Amino acid sequence: MRKLLFIVILLFASVACTAEPVKIGAQAPAFTLVNALDGKAVAMKPADGNLKVVVFTCNQCPYAKAFEPRIIEIAKRFQQKGVRFYAVNPNDDAKYEIETLANMKARADEKEYPFPYLKDGDSAIARAYGARVTPHAFVIDGSGAVRYHGYVDDSAKPEDRKTTGLTDALNSLLNGRDVANAETREFGCTIKWKS
Amino acid sequence: MRKSARFAATFLSVAALNAFAADLRPVKDPVKIAAVFPRAAQLRLVNVWALWCAPCVAEMPDLRAIDDAFGAEVALTGISMDDMLPDASPKPVAAFLDKNKIAFPNVYYTGNIDDLGDYLKFSGEIPITIVFDSKGKEVWRHQGRINRNQTIARLRELLRRKP
Repeated sequence: MRKLLFIVILLFASVACTAEPVKIGAQAPAFTLVNALDGKAVAMKPADGNLKVVVFTCNQCPYAKAFEPRIIEIAKRFQQKGVRFYAVNPNDDAKYEIETLANMKARADEKEYPFPYLKDGDSAIARAYGARVTPHAFVIDGSGAVRYHGYVDDSAKPEDRKTTGLTDALNSLLNGRDVANAETREFGCTIKWKS
Repeated sequence: MRKSARFAATFLSVAALNAFAADLRPVKDPVKIAAVFPRAAQLRLVNVWALWCAPCVAEMPDLRAIDDAFGAEVALTGISMDDMLPDASPKPVAAFLDKNKIAFPNVYYTGNIDDLGDYLKFSGEIPITIVFDSKGKEVWRHQGRINRNQTIARLRELLRRKP
């Protein structure tokens, strides 16, 4: 009986805790999600040989929105070097209408996203990655290994920016170097988990 | 005009319009947050929040109730992260604190997320509530929205533990 109680407590604790982000060097989870831009499914295959960025973001978070132009700028710059970008929205669209596929499309069209804006409808992909907030960026190398996760930059204000985590990681990997600062402190709005 | 002077001017103009004026102080160096707490407090609760963080705003009445539930033995300090956004200002933060009659002091944090994260040892996800003892040793932390009654019970338990 005592053993059963311990297992129940352990199960409850594991559900209640926020998962840790996928470890550096571990394989990134694959996913196939619907792109709000055209309604078509997009498959992200981790070991496809390409350097990739997965950014968990959303429509409602002011901090994510503050980073939107920066993410677009980084994507445009690094797409020219062969890096693939995936923006993933994990927020519960049943509770928050602003996060529906239609509203995602409206935002992506308005801001002219140069990457797919994918709906993680049951928040399962965010859970698999251990994403915590929006925005939360992950960099995955051609073999499918996670090489960076954390913030895009350490500040949404260009004048206060001291560390450009995502950009530095991409530059290092494109130049065949390890990422010096592979785990940074993601900051933003808590993901509105679909329960 | 220096940022601190601008801040003071904004604060005074907001305060003049309200009968209740919240205690909101600009702090750039996280180490200076410790000085906000009264020396007599046995437990020091830090809550990191922002106006743009829905659960943070939702739990502010709970923090006020927690503050009301204790005397000088428990001191609260909020750390507003609103300055992280471009074009941010302390004015709406002060107005929100005034409107909600938040009597405990708040810090308008103007520094870097890494500096604060290193200082408080948190991932960056807010809200987060951390309790320190009078020697600055962390004794409890809670990630996400707090539960008012559970937090009060926890603080009472921590006070009982004191020598």
